[in-house]
Amino acid sequence: MININNKHIFLVDDDAVHLRLLEIEFLQQTDYAIETFKSGELCIAALDKQPDIIVLDYWLDGIEKSAMNGIEVLDVIKTTYPNIPVIMLSSQDKIEVAINCMHHKAFDYVVKSETSFMKLTTIINHIFNVQKLEHNLNWYKSKM
Amino acid sequence: MDYQYARSLIEASLDPLVTINTDGKIMDMNDATAGITGLTREELTGTNFFDYFTEINKAREVYKEVFANGSVADSPLTLRHKDGKLTDVLFNGSEYKDDRGNVLGIVIVARDVTYQKRIASELLDAKIKAEKATIFAEDAQLKAESAAGIAKHATRIAEDAVKAKQQFLSNMSHEIRTPMNAIIGFTKVLLKTSLNEKQIEYLQAIKISGDALIVLINDILDLAKVDAGKMKFEQTPFKLASSISAMLHLFETKIQEKNLKLFKEYDNKIPEILVGDPVRLHQIILNLVSNSVKFTSEGAITVSVKLISEDKEKVMIEFKVSDTGIGIPPNKIDHIFENFHQATSGTSRLYGGTGLGLAIVKQLVEPQGGSISVKSKVGVGSAFSFNLHFHKTSENAASEIEIIERDVQVKNISVLVVEDIALNQLLMKTLLDDFGFDRDIAPNGKIAIEMMSLKTYDIILMDLQMPEMNGFQATEYIRQTLKSDIPIVALTADVTTADLAKCKSVGMNDYLSKPVNERLLYSKIVSFVSKHIDQSKSGETEQEDLFEKKYKYIDLDYLFHRTKSNKDLLIEMINLYLEQTPVLLAAMNEGLKNEDWGTLQAAVHKIIPSFSIMGISSDFEVLAKKVHEYAATMKNIIEVTDMIKKIETVCLNSCIELEQELNIIKLMKS
Repeated sequence: MININNKHIFLVDDDAVHLRLLEIEFLQQTDYAIETFKSGELCIAALDKQPDIIVLDYWLDGIEKSAMNGIEVLDVIKTTYPNIPVIMLSSQDKIEVAINCMHHKAFDYVVKSETSFMKLTTIINHIFNVQKLEHNLNWYKSKM
Repeated sequence: MDYQYARSLIEASLDPLVTINTDGKIMDMNDATAGITGLTREELTGTNFFDYFTEINKAREVYKEVFANGSVADSPLTLRHKDGKLTDVLFNGSEYKDDRGNVLGIVIVARDVTYQKRIASELLDAKIKAEKATIFAEDAQLKAESAAGIAKHATRIAEDAVKAKQQFLSNMSHEIRTPMNAIIGFTKVLLKTSLNEKQIEYLQAIKISGDALIVLINDILDLAKVDAGKMKFEQTPFKLASSISAMLHLFETKIQEKNLKLFKEYDNKIPEILVGDPVRLHQIILNLVSNSVKFTSEGAITVSVKLISEDKEKVMIEFKVSDTGIGIPPNKIDHIFENFHQATSGTSRLYGGTGLGLAIVKQLVEPQGGSISVKSKVGVGSAFSFNLHFHKTSENAASEIEIIERDVQVKNISVLVVEDIALNQLLMKTLLDDFGFDRDIAPNGKIAIEMMSLKTYDIILMDLQMPEMNGFQATEYIRQTLKSDIPIVALTADVTTADLAKCKSVGMNDYLSKPVNERLLYSKIVSFVSKHIDQSKSGETEQEDLFEKKYKYIDLDYLFHRTKSNKDLLIEMINLYLEQTPVLLAAMNEGLKNEDWGTLQAAVHKIIPSFSIMGISSDFEVLAKKVHEYAATMKNIIEVTDMIKKIETVCLNSCIELEQELNIIKLMKS
């Protein structure tokens, strides 16, 4: 059940341990409605639910050769719903990876670690604040 | 007969009685009337009655009223004596008639109310006074209340001010000490360069002033600590006799300079090792002896230590410092233990000092359950004595680090200095260069840890307060995560017992207080490094065995914390890991076998996050990252194979441990 009033977040990661831990942390410490996906394909199939934010693992292929990788999934999301912010996750602390993500219009890039949940929530709060401000700004513009 | 009787009653009345005819003329009267007017009956008879009142018109009106109403009661009027004396009366009157009812005149009784009036006016006066007094009292009470409020407020302000003063003193002292350490340190360094005589003299002056300032700052910090109740006393075993000798040693030059003599009387019945706070005891005796030296220009100073009483557990010892100095006047002797107090204000001008020494001594003796007293005679000398009790022990005293002067074979010592303040960095650099040691500087704990992975060091000198990662955190990391037993010596400016305990608890080996004593620094570095080398030579094999046996791969603290110890979630997480890991390991081996670097890389990549989740040492995470990197470049295949073996071992062992944990958690749940 997804509560209409709550912000809706997709988590996408093929690392089941990490995915579940992240989900647990979100459920315990936030009010967001969380949906998890084990692959990029499953996430894309559910895109018409139009989540408010998507947290997407960078390296989704590899073990499953035929699987889409994170950047491919990111591209699909951005062409279908360019307004949904996507935060990329990776265990690689590499500047090229980060830059690549940004080139493909990711909102931000977080390295998997003990503190990644904290970083994610900070970024998510930031996104919602910006959206609120934009919303207000548009409202005032339309009034003028 | 009847007439006679009535007449005598009338004459006996003290109130004037008068009869007046209808024309207002007096017809008859009694004696009292004559008395009150001062006229005879003959003079009065036939005269106008109203003439004897002060207000004639009013009297006439009252008279008319009697005729109109038949009577009048208690009308106030005033009668006049022929000499002028006035008498207040109440005028009562009624008509009298003949047998046929014709009005013949009126009978008047004028009651003398002088007395009542006086009483009334006195009463009124008293009443007014009473009212005034009441108002005054109320006023006073209000004032008292507001005064109490003001006093309360003032007390609070005063208390706040005292607190603020302490905080300020403590902060300022601390802030002053850091630059002072640099000044003294560099002066010492400079003194060792080639200088001419004048330059040496000037530098000595700087150093002496600096030392004096440091002493003062430490005194102030101590007092602030005492006032704030932060002074703690340690209970460590120590050798009293050698402690006292070492301390008196410090005064030798000073005493020789002043041409004094120093005697020591030590009671040999005192047990060799006692339990107490040797640092604070030092401080007490140091203060007393330096006072004695300061105020004595000729003669001798005697330090005596006597056993007063002894039982099974503890001993009571009396310490006495006596001198042949200027002495203390009897009227000042009660105040000398107060803060900023010297016997005479002229004393400080002549002998220097802040007057804090004895205050600190008292504050150090009394909280330990001791008492201090003083006997003194002006011009003869003073004797300060205090009692302290110490516990006995069978333990050995912690050996003070011996000053090692030997020429050490370990010449290529490399030291890592972790220190954030540039001045102190430079000072340590200079000192270590002087010793001929190889040294690197890290501005904080985090960088120090990074540097440790690049190079091997023999010893770390660790400042405590640093940005990013402080000395405690860094030491903890080095001991817990890097599992390194490299000697770590804390560098600290503020030697509080609490800090020292913390140093020990995180795994530091020793500490050095700033300003760093050069010789002590050298001997500590050398002794630790040589000890460490000896140890690692002999203990290598043994240690490895221990490592194998005791090593635990996983640590579920993080997971417990994240899941808030929810057992269902824990079970679920562990199961996920147990399912996923073999798949990844298989992929990893498959990749290696088929030289499919992409698969290998991906598999290693996937395994990394779960390491930290399951609390597996970050060493292996680093290892996995290396494999990941090598796989990308397809280099070092032999090394990679080896590393993958290690990762596999870790993962398999973790799985075994996790299955055990899983069973325990399930048991706890049921």
